[in-house]
Amino acid sequence: MQMLVIKPKVDFVVTVEAEITPDLAEDLEKAKNFEVYYGKDKVKLKELFEITKEGDDKKLVLDGDFSKVKWIGCRMEDGEIVVKGNVGANCGAYMKGGKITIEGNADDWLGAEMSSGEIVVKGNVKNCVGCAYYGDMQGMKGGKITIEGNAINYIGEKMAGGEIEIKGNAGDFIGTEMTNGLIVIHGDCGFVGGDMKGGEIRIGGKFELMPTFKKSEEGFVGDVNVGGKGVVKTL
Amino acid sequence: MHHMLHIKNGIVIDTKNGIKAEKMDIFVKEGKIVEESEIDKSQCKVIDASNKLVVAGGVDMHAHIAGSKINTGRTMRPEEMRMVRQIANKFRASVGRVLLTSPAIGYEYAKMGYTTSFEAAQPPIGALHTHEELDAIPMVDKAALPVFGNWHFVFKYVAENDIEKLKTFIAWAIERTKGFGVKVVNPGGVEAWMYGGNCRSLDDEVPNFGVTPREIITSLIKATEELNLCHSVHLHCNNLGNPGNFETTIETMKLANGFSNDKRQVLHVTHVQFNAYAGSSWRDVGSGAAEIAKVVNGMDNVTIDMGAAIFGHATAMTGDAPFQFTLHKLLGARWSNKDSEVEGGAGIVPIMYLPKNPVHALQWAIGLELGLLVESDKVVLTTDFPNGGPFTEYPYVMAMLMSKKMREKELERVSPYVQKAANLPSIDAEKTLDEVMHMTRALSARVLGLENKGHLGVGADADISIYDFNPNEIDTSNDYEIINKAFRNALYTIKGGVIIVKEGQLVDEVWGTTYWVDATNKVDTEAIEEDLDKYFELYYSVEKEHYGVEEAWIKNPTRLVMG
Repeated sequence: MQMLVIKPKVDFVVTVEAEITPDLAEDLEKAKNFEVYYGKDKVKLKELFEITKEGDDKKLVLDGDFSKVKWIGCRMEDGEIVVKGNVGANCGAYMKGGKITIEGNADDWLGAEMSSGEIVVKGNVKNCVGCAYYGDMQGMKGGKITIEGNAINYIGEKMAGGEIEIKGNAGDFIGTEMTNGLIVIHGDCGFVGGDMKGGEIRIGGKFELMPTFKKSEEGFVGDVNVGGKGVVKTL
Repeated sequence: MHHMLHIKNGIVIDTKNGIKAEKMDIFVKEGKIVEESEIDKSQCKVIDASNKLVVAGGVDMHAHIAGSKINTGRTMRPEEMRMVRQIANKFRASVGRVLLTSPAIGYEYAKMGYTTSFEAAQPPIGALHTHEELDAIPMVDKAALPVFGNWHFVFKYVAENDIEKLKTFIAWAIERTKGFGVKVVNPGGVEAWMYGGNCRSLDDEVPNFGVTPREIITSLIKATEELNLCHSVHLHCNNLGNPGNFETTIETMKLANGFSNDKRQVLHVTHVQFNAYAGSSWRDVGSGAAEIAKVVNGMDNVTIDMGAAIFGHATAMTGDAPFQFTLHKLLGARWSNKDSEVEGGAGIVPIMYLPKNPVHALQWAIGLELGLLVESDKVVLTTDFPNGGPFTEYPYVMAMLMSKKMREKELERVSPYVQKAANLPSIDAEKTLDEVMHMTRALSARVLGLENKGHLGVGADADISIYDFNPNEIDTSNDYEIINKAFRNALYTIKGGVIIVKEGQLVDEVWGTTYWVDATNKVDTEAIEEDLDKYFELYYSVEKEHYGVEEAWIKNPTRLVMG
């Protein structure tokens, strides 16, 4: 086992689709020849990135700007990924275990449909955190996503388990069609809980509630439009 | 590129011409099957088919491959489009799990050795769209059946009992939509649905029109037979998808009594699996397949197709809008409803057939029962793509029909409810390879009235598939895995004399023809002009002059003039 440090060789003109996981740390040669898409071209990882071995952990250190690199840690099961800069869309999608730490910002679809494991973002993220991909019935099912900064719209749509914690503010459509799990937002956010069936949303700052929630001792319960028993309450 | 072909030493099954697994040679010239004497052997490409099965290309007579329904299905199911079958290269990109894109439909049929497929329900007002989609399907010959069973003109002429005008209208409508025949979906029921109702029995009156499904079906059969169209009335029965509906189905089939045609059936009842339920609720639902089989076997003017259910993903999409709403309520799944003005409607609901679900397992069993219990000359193999499942699973259905052993193995993984509610576990019958080839080729071609399809006689279209096993050496009861595999990937598929698939891989792209039927020579459209003008002015969103499809707009049309 070894730890790999991966650095972009150039500024990418188009996006890279690189489904890299800590499994690559098992074999340096295999990692170098791992196939990724650069735009529509299939290329080897070593053509776009410098890859070096350091240490003996099942760990990838992504050193540089990865904001145009998508699908990092997709379907990963264990080990660790540390991104020193920003990261592109779909990071940690379908993740089953392990940990991803992003020291910069993340893009859309962070941890989409993940079932276990942990994602920590030190900066901000964009839309669709822990959501279901279009057409799928369940979003995030387990694990934890922590965001130190802010997020934009669609947080935990169709979420069925696990926890999302946002220390800053968030946008609209929090926990839409959520069935289980927990969303915590320390700052302010927009519309919350549309068609929510279960689970819990806790908010520290200001927020806008759908008119389809009933006040109870616990907080607000709804969405009554779908016979939901979700709870929205202040922190 | 049209080659002359010499397919040498193949083991041929051609049920229409009475050839039962005989070693023989087939000759092809200019897209047709010809006599040996017409071939110049020095210029001829030879295909060595020694010890391989050689049959006509498969003919799918009922699938939803083009038109507003499948396209709405694609729109509402983005998750279906994540399966990339092929990246664009020499061929076009091909995408889709069950709801395939248009190119994928043609390619997947070709890989299986199928060379003809008919869109089974075209909303007439969506005809142009349907033809544009058909034009985007490579490899196969195709056609579309416009739906008539809820069209206000049909109600009007049936209510007036004016068969001449009904005939005129049918001829006009088929010409305008460049359609192939008369499809009927839940006659009257979809009109009733406009008011939230349905017509579940043959004698339920259609609101505001004073006609019943019984009258609509009978009149349409009469008109179709008098016009002597290629294909008979193609009927999706009333009361589809409800427990106890097998009785409605049987009663409907009996409406064909009194009609006859020398060449074909006078009524084709489609995807009967969905219309073959006994019982009074979903709690005691059972199989009515045996009763239906008995009736079909006793009639010589009715054919059916299976509409087999396949475990896995599917999308229910029919012109039967009220049924789709029932299904949506039953499953809690997404639902889209389509309205096609005064012509009817449609609905779309995603579904997944699960082996452990008692109802789904029963549906799976009923589809197979129909294939096994109905005589092979009266039942066509279909899955009602994509309602019962993907057409790419036809090889599974073929293997199941031929092997009791395979069925026993499959029964072990399905809900035990099948043991008490279905006949399948006790059916010992096994279809022969000849019979299954008949059900997928000669019979479906005959049902559609396509004389040059489904056989390998001289003059037939050179649509040929070759499979990698010797029918004289295979034991279909035990070698089901070989059968299931061989029919998925044809060794060769030849379409109109061009080799398009070799060893399961696409090698060439061809564009089949779109058949359409012209019966306007048999009627005088003047007779209905006034009614058309009035209805278009009052009820349609388009002008009559803008309605329909011109032949020149179709990529590769073939006009069939009715004699």
